[in-house]
Amino acid sequence: MAEFAAVSGAGDLGEGEMRAFDVRGIKIAVANVGGAFHAFDDTCTHMACSLVEGDLEETTVICPCHGAEFDVTSGAVLQGPAKEPLATYKTRVDGGNLEVEG
Amino acid sequence: MTETFVIVGAGLAGGGAAATLREEGFDGRLVLIGTEPQPPYERPPLSKEYLRGESPFEQALLQPVDFYGENGIESRFGVRVIGVDAAEKVVELDHGERVAYDALLVATGGRNRRIPVPGIDLEGIYGLRTVADSDRIRAEISAGRKAVVVGMGFIGLEVTASLRQSGVEVAVVDRNTVPLRRVLGEEIGLVVAEIHRDHGTELIFEDKVAAFEGAERVERITTQRGHRIECDFVVVGLGVEPATELLAGTGVEIGNGVLVDEYLRTGVEGIYAAGDVANHYHPVFKRHIRVEHWQNALKQGSVAARNMLGRNEPYGEIPWFWSDQYEHNLQYAGFHSEWDELVVRGSTEVRNFVAFYRKDGRILAAVAINGGRDLRRSISLIKAQEEVAAATLRDLDFDLRTLAGAASLR
Repeated sequence: MAEFAAVSGAGDLGEGEMRAFDVRGIKIAVANVGGAFHAFDDTCTHMACSLVEGDLEETTVICPCHGAEFDVTSGAVLQGPAKEPLATYKTRVDGGNLEVEG
Repeated sequence: MTETFVIVGAGLAGGGAAATLREEGFDGRLVLIGTEPQPPYERPPLSKEYLRGESPFEQALLQPVDFYGENGIESRFGVRVIGVDAAEKVVELDHGERVAYDALLVATGGRNRRIPVPGIDLEGIYGLRTVADSDRIRAEISAGRKAVVVGMGFIGLEVTASLRQSGVEVAVVDRNTVPLRRVLGEEIGLVVAEIHRDHGTELIFEDKVAAFEGAERVERITTQRGHRIECDFVVVGLGVEPATELLAGTGVEIGNGVLVDEYLRTGVEGIYAAGDVANHYHPVFKRHIRVEHWQNALKQGSVAARNMLGRNEPYGEIPWFWSDQYEHNLQYAGFHSEWDELVVRGSTEVRNFVAFYRKDGRILAAVAINGGRDLRRSISLIKAQEEVAAATLRDLDFDLRTLAGAASLR
């Protein structure tokens, strides 16, 4: 049973922003899309670039290195060169803290 | 009556077009013909992660091997088209088969330019275009061996980086003063040169190979300026010529590739072209351009496929590509042949920047080293062909997405 880990204050990640956190040794990115938090692997499945160094456009994250696009809500590949989806993680806000399951 | 679409060239453009045709509901006969024995695959890894043995070939495949059979795509892999009869609408294959078509997509790509230099046919001299080429080079790689790379274009540079990363000693010969001078100019070319120098590559500029020498295998090269470099193998990367000869006698106009309009149509009814071979009219740059990169092949194949189905979709993607060398990620977007000002945002010294090629105040293109985010944000500025103040571009605190051109295209 995975546990939730507090990564930041819920108010610290503004709408349209994303940031990566170390959750028990895994770099997990969290994106705030319209007030909803979506957590996914920060490491691009193509060539391992950090996705938070790229751009977030609504629910799409764009890898800065080779332009792969993923849906942050599902991890699905929207545009190559990546072929494998991203792992995604549950999030919750508890007592003002943003928590990620991992 | 069932329609037949034929795609000649089973690379990224041809393979992508075949997949798109089925996705878009084309239920006629579909024949995909390619000279290589493998199903369509992506070429970027061949000079990088695949060459270094870090990723398997399967990862480069455009679709799983069974995809073509499962989708009713008749594959003719390892087969060459020797002629097209545009009047009869038939393609002729080298094994004697003739296939009648209603629409034909030419996605034959290119072949490596060869140089008429003595000794070029010695063993141990390679070009790089196919996975078979990459395999041959890979078999030569082991730490401590010595290679000469001829030509510092993108392929030459990426191969050089992969060889150095694999412990091979490398000397590179290029006729210009810096790598990529024709494409990126002196200032950015110098940054690239320094990256390679820092990784222990011997760089020989403003020189050309005079001869490859050796008994059966290449053992050394000599240059026109008198260098004599011992080596175990050679990789030649001097660019590509579009493979257009199959269209001889069809009436299709050839000029630096197959000339097509913005809908990727040739002047001959029913014949289209896409990918490296297509010299296409670009609605943003208002001229014909030919692009030899991944994104162009992928997206153009799909647009050509939809236009074969009568969609009338113009192709107006801004050309974009990447080149990974060592730990550095280079990206370029746009199209420029001449410029009057280079505006650098960031620092070339620490190798973290985007540089804009401007002419008359308009951004034609941008190149980034380790600046992918801003490079991608620049694409809409290039598309808008807008004038942006140089000071604005240089201001790192200024978010490029807020510029009018960017906003209006979102």
